[in-house]
Amino acid sequence: MPDWQKLVRERLSGLALDPREKEEVRAELAAHLEESYEALLKENVPEQAAVCAALFQVTDWRDLQRRIFDAKKKGHIMTKRLHQLWIPGFLTMGLSIVFLVTLQKLGFNARIVSWRDSDIFFYAPWLVSLPFLGALGAYISSRAGGSRGTALLASIFPALALTLTFLLMFPIDMIIEPIIGRQVDFKIVAAALLKDGIGWMLFPGVALLVGGFFVQLFFGHPLSSRDTTIGSETTHA
Amino acid sequence: MIGSGIKRGTAELAVLSVLQDGPLHGYELARRIEQQTNGALRFTLAALYPMLYRMEQQRWIRGTWETSANGRRRRCYRLTPAGKKKLSPLQREWAELFRALQRLTKAAHA
Repeated sequence: MPDWQKLVRERLSGLALDPREKEEVRAELAAHLEESYEALLKENVPEQAAVCAALFQVTDWRDLQRRIFDAKKKGHIMTKRLHQLWIPGFLTMGLSIVFLVTLQKLGFNARIVSWRDSDIFFYAPWLVSLPFLGALGAYISSRAGGSRGTALLASIFPALALTLTFLLMFPIDMIIEPIIGRQVDFKIVAAALLKDGIGWMLFPGVALLVGGFFVQLFFGHPLSSRDTTIGSETTHA
Repeated sequence: MIGSGIKRGTAELAVLSVLQDGPLHGYELARRIEQQTNGALRFTLAALYPMLYRMEQQRWIRGTWETSANGRRRRCYRLTPAGKKKLSPLQREWAELFRALQRLTKAAHA
C-alpha cells in the first residue's frame, strides 16, 4: 500500500498554513485517498490502477493547494483585519473627532502660534487627550491579537486618515482651481500644507503614537512575521 | 454550462442536507451524497475539501478529529446551529428554482 501521507505531503509542500493546520489538512486528504483506494480494491480493481484512480481525483495539486489556502485563510484574514485594525482605528478616530468637537463647543479655542509667517493651530486639551485615545486603539488591537505594527497603526489611524485626506485634497484643489479660472499660488499651497500638516497631522500623530507605544510596553505582542500577515498572506498560495 | 454560483449552491445544499442526518467524515460524506443522488452528484477530493473548509470558516459546519472503531483518525463534520439556520432557506430557494425550471420546460414542450 502506498504511503498516502508522504504522497500528499510531497504534493502539498507549498501549502502556506500554520504547521498544525497544514498537518491536519495533509492527514485528512491522505485518509480520504486511502479510503478511496481501499474501496477500489474491494471492487477488485488491481492495486496499481486503484492507486492511479485515487490520485486522479486531483488533476492539479497546485490549484488544490491554492483553493485550500483561500478557503482556510480568506475569511480569517478579513476578520483579523477588521478586529485588529479597522475597528480600533475607526474607534480612535471617532472618539478623537467627538472630543475635538466637544472642546470647540465648550469654548476651548485653538491656540495660534506664529512660525515663519504662518499660523499653526494647536488644540492643547485635544492634543493632551490623544495619547489616551492612541493607547485605547492599540489596546483594542492588541487584545484582538494584533501584532505590534498593527496595534501602532491602529493607534495613529486618525492622523493617517487625515494625512490621506490632505494629500488627496491638495492635488484635487490644484486641478479644480485653474478650471474655475483661479490662479493657484504654489507658495500658499505649500505653506498651508506645512501649517496644517504640523497642527493637524504631525503633532496629533506623535501624541497618538506615544499612547500606542505606552500600551505596547505592557500588552504588546513581540514583533514577528505576524506583523506582515495582513498584507502578505494572500500571496503565499 | 452551469455557472460556478449555481454549482457552489447545489454543493453546499448537498453537504448541509446530508450532515443533517448526523456527523460524517469527508470520504463518507462524498459517498453518501453520491448514493443518495444515484450518482448525479459526485465529489472528488479536489472539489470536496476546499468547500468543506470554506463552509467551516463560515461556521456552517464544524470538523473535529475522532478515532473510529478500527483505530483510524478521521475528521468528522457536523452541522452547527448556523448551518441548520442556513439550510432551510437554501432548501426553499432551490425548491423554488426547480419548480420554476419545471414550469418553464413544461411550457416549452406544450
